[in-house]
Amino acid sequence: MRDLVNMERIEKRFPGVHALKGVGFDLRAGEVHALMGENGAGKSTLMKILSGVYQPDSGRILVEGREVMFGSPRAAQDHGIGIIHQELALMKDLTVAQNIFIGREPRLSFGRIDEARQNREARELFAALNIDIDPRRPVDGLSIARQQMVEIAKALSARSKVLIMDEPTAALTDGEIGELFAMIEKLKSEGVGIVYISHKMDEIKRISDRVTVMRDGEYVGTVEAQDTPISRIIEMMVGRALSDEAVVVPDLTRAETALEVIDLNRGREIRTVSFSLRKGEILGFAGLMGAGRTEVARAIFGADPRESGDILVRGHKADIRSPADAVKAGIGYLSEDRKHFGLALGMNVADNIALASLPAFANGVGRLDDGRMHRVARDFIARLGIRTPSEHQEVRLLSGGNQQKVVIAKWLLRDCDILIFDEPTRGIDIGAKSEIYRLLADLAADGKAIIVISSELPEVLRVSHRIAVMCEGQLTGFLPGGADTTQEQIMQLATDRSGLRQATRQEETA
Amino acid sequence: MITRRMILGTLSAAALLASTGFSLAQDKMYIPLVSKGFQHQFWQAVKAGADKAAAEFGVEVTFEGPDNETMVDRQIDMLSAALAKKPAAIGFAALDSQAAIPLLKQAEAAKIPVIAFDSGVDSDIPAATAATDNKAAAALAAEKMAALIGDEGEVALVVHDQTSRTGVDRRDGFVEWIAANKPKIQIVAIEYGGGDHLKSTEITKTLLQAHPNLKGIFGSNEGSAIGVANGARESGKKVVIIGYDSGAAQKQAIRDGLMAGAITQNPVGIGYETVKAAVMAAKGEPIVPTIDTGFYFYDKSNIDSPEIAAVLYD
Amino acid sequence: MNATTDKTASTASQLSSGARLAGGAQQKLLAFASLIALVIGFSLASPNFFQVSNIMAILQATSVNGVLAVAATAVILTGGIDLSIGTLMTFCAVVAGVVLTWGGLPLPLGLLAAIGAGALVGLASGTFVARMKIPPFIATLGMMLVLKGLSLIITGAKPIYFNDTPGYTEISQGSLIGLVIPALPVPNGVLVLFLVALAMAFVLSRTVLGRYTYALGSNEEAVRLSGVNTNAWKMAVYALAGGICGIAGILISSRLNSAQPALGLGYELDAIAAVVIGGTSLAGGRGTVLGTLIGALIMSVLTNGLRILSVAPEWQTVVTGAIIILAVYADQLRRQRG
Repeated sequence: MRDLVNMERIEKRFPGVHALKGVGFDLRAGEVHALMGENGAGKSTLMKILSGVYQPDSGRILVEGREVMFGSPRAAQDHGIGIIHQELALMKDLTVAQNIFIGREPRLSFGRIDEARQNREARELFAALNIDIDPRRPVDGLSIARQQMVEIAKALSARSKVLIMDEPTAALTDGEIGELFAMIEKLKSEGVGIVYISHKMDEIKRISDRVTVMRDGEYVGTVEAQDTPISRIIEMMVGRALSDEAVVVPDLTRAETALEVIDLNRGREIRTVSFSLRKGEILGFAGLMGAGRTEVARAIFGADPRESGDILVRGHKADIRSPADAVKAGIGYLSEDRKHFGLALGMNVADNIALASLPAFANGVGRLDDGRMHRVARDFIARLGIRTPSEHQEVRLLSGGNQQKVVIAKWLLRDCDILIFDEPTRGIDIGAKSEIYRLLADLAADGKAIIVISSELPEVLRVSHRIAVMCEGQLTGFLPGGADTTQEQIMQLATDRSGLRQATRQEETA
Repeated sequence: MITRRMILGTLSAAALLASTGFSLAQDKMYIPLVSKGFQHQFWQAVKAGADKAAAEFGVEVTFEGPDNETMVDRQIDMLSAALAKKPAAIGFAALDSQAAIPLLKQAEAAKIPVIAFDSGVDSDIPAATAATDNKAAAALAAEKMAALIGDEGEVALVVHDQTSRTGVDRRDGFVEWIAANKPKIQIVAIEYGGGDHLKSTEITKTLLQAHPNLKGIFGSNEGSAIGVANGARESGKKVVIIGYDSGAAQKQAIRDGLMAGAITQNPVGIGYETVKAAVMAAKGEPIVPTIDTGFYFYDKSNIDSPEIAAVLYD
Repeated sequence: MNATTDKTASTASQLSSGARLAGGAQQKLLAFASLIALVIGFSLASPNFFQVSNIMAILQATSVNGVLAVAATAVILTGGIDLSIGTLMTFCAVVAGVVLTWGGLPLPLGLLAAIGAGALVGLASGTFVARMKIPPFIATLGMMLVLKGLSLIITGAKPIYFNDTPGYTEISQGSLIGLVIPALPVPNGVLVLFLVALAMAFVLSRTVLGRYTYALGSNEEAVRLSGVNTNAWKMAVYALAGGICGIAGILISSRLNSAQPALGLGYELDAIAAVVIGGTSLAGGRGTVLGTLIGALIMSVLTNGLRILSVAPEWQTVVTGAIIILAVYADQLRRQRG
């Protein structure tokens, strides 16, 4: 196989950070080359250099043997290098075809755009990829997976020989992932080289040919995907072997009930969901993307309205209409999207920890006791092992795992004994993940009642004392936690639409 | 649903208003006056004169003008709306007479007589012009200033506007008279404060700072003149101030001796003469093309004389 | 995570935070340095510039715009904007006139009424923005026009004079400091500006309201999901800003010994310009009262100095506009590097 791309001794420094230290990388035609490493290892920086977003301080880039310099993303595109960013960058009010051809619209005379030709070419692209999307519909309303397909079509329409995908499956359901992988296979067979960035080990095994691992801005090594055990890859990433502890399910038969949810309903998203949670228990919520788990959590927390249903906290009915009510009742919610819904990124660690409890730090006229606030913050930093130079550090400069701990501290300080974790380890390094798992177990041992929503089955199995499974807005069943429950059992419930059919019938007869 | 109801409501209200206007126009002769403003005391006085004439001749008069004297576009909109109501005659004080010519031609074609007021319109369409001769008035201010400062030294102007007819005429009237008659008087600064009291105050203080030998300042309208008086008082410097127009604050400043004197126009007379000429023109009676409504210089000595008191306003 | 990665990670973040802190200090230094540079430049260019009387005049000229800018700072920090501050100032001045001159009530009542009216109107704007979810730009644009009209209606388009209220003009023109130190006749208006700025700086940096003001501008949804009643706090910020506009209304009417109903439009833009020059981000979450104060001073030093140098009035506005663009561009550059 010929080399499409060779990157040699790439150096890149940012103020205060040596991001890339003489890194090399190569890509062959018709292969999927996985690029792995913890957050901050330099994967994204390397790929931004390859796609022309950043310029290297030194080092060479060769495309098909010729040395190139990319001054801009446009220049990289002209050399056939396309990138699909983790955050999709489509204009949602434009049509699919308009998005694909933005900046390269086919023209008629007097600068008019040839919409017909644009739509026709988009349709041909989709046909070649075996995707069924109407090029004339607006992007708004397409699922994340479909938007990703549009991004890929956009990259291909620019005749890309190299396609960089940054965590493409982060927001996809299993079915959609299958669709994506089929497409990747097809591209491979046509000789496109694909750089695949992901944290998910099983995916790497499924589709990649080679794996390159980076750590702390340095190149660690490249291995054949099929011959290398996952544990070896993880070792390369974190620099040591990880022990995988199993969950210990405590006996909770005598524990009092902390939270009871009865007949929660909202349209098609939440259909008559009932469950209860004891003190000291970790209840895992499993299900496919869109099964309604986050919706249930947000409804309990008052972040979104509910149509009907009661929420009982320690046996008393709680009238929750807003997050403020929920917090008063002792419920805290840790969103999957910490940056948008959990943290004031520009503010410091102390402020973020105190965010839900500020009035408690104020005297009668609203004056804040900053000294006490910072002492409390230092306590939490020590207790949860938050790695930060001090409580004065802005949270945007912390790593994902430490940001998550700041959010946890916020709810602990607010005395919330019911904590709902939505995807607690999304975007968090493998090394930090097990730390979060241990923290969850510790919190439960302290008597907190915990709900963990996760799309990663190994994670659900790793932390849950009991597992609730949802499918299309309904709770389809509970499974015991512990080593005896398998991923297959969960998947069965997660795709169990029998209850749903029944419910639909009831609706019809009613 | 609510929005639709609201739109319908608004429409019907608008229709009602329109029909009222129409019926009024049929009952009485309707004469709209499109002025340069309405918020300043000067315009309120013009309006008072117009209302007086309206009562006397039994006609319906409306009076409107834009928020400030730079809003030429707003005024054109008002003029065009006034024309659309097919009035018997129209009174118009142009902010920018060139900009209004197409509309004036429309009025001519529709045989609606136009009476210009306050300042002239560079066109022969208006049947008459009822105005103060601003250049001559400012020249009188210059003459008084020269006498008060002993025909030599530095003076400055705080003018209300750089582009409007009155601003330009009062500035040029003052400057040209000095240039032609008093070579020993230097005009060291001309600043523009938009007629804003506070801005004119700050300008004056800075002028007094920049030119320590300044002997006199001319404020070209009510807001400018009050600002000049304020600024001089705050700086605590003795300087001869000549103002323009009247208003309670300016009259008080003159009584207190803070301001040496001011030019007053005859705003009530402008309003009255405009409506009177409009009525005559609408009836087809002959009218004089130039109605000079006059101006006066007043100071402490004559502020209470009947002749002056009649044209001053609060 | 092993020890090596830990160490590198924390060193890296320490380094970058160090760089950022230095950047923040640089920005404030930059603004302050440009102020000093302007003062020095004008002093060299004209002997009439650097004199006690002129410095006092500059401070006095800053007082109204400065107070308005302080009000605008709070609202802008939440990520909002208040376009009604100029006409609200006028409205409050009119309220003071109605109470004092027409009602003949004692001075303190008039001042309270002006500040109270400001706070109430601010609360109304806050309600439109927080509860009714009208974008701040639109809500306060509407409020700006409503208030302008109301001022003209209440007064019948005639100014209200304060001749019957002895001591009213002293509020901005007298000098308490001058009584104590005759060599330093700082007008009371300036004193008021600094007191208001100090109070606001305290509120923003030391109180719950202030902390939530920054948090709202930083990430409103995160604050709401922390169980905070964001609507109430946001309304409080608008009400606070409104009350401060009331103080500005007292200052300007005391300065002019009259409530001029036609004034006010355009003052909001000067205030917002001062806030922006002072380094506050229009996106919210970042900025200080000190910055705003420096920004307001830069603007009045510039206008004053250019006039003293007899720069043509047309060019004065061109230069001021260019300075605004330059100031924000410098801030952008700093942020990109940091």
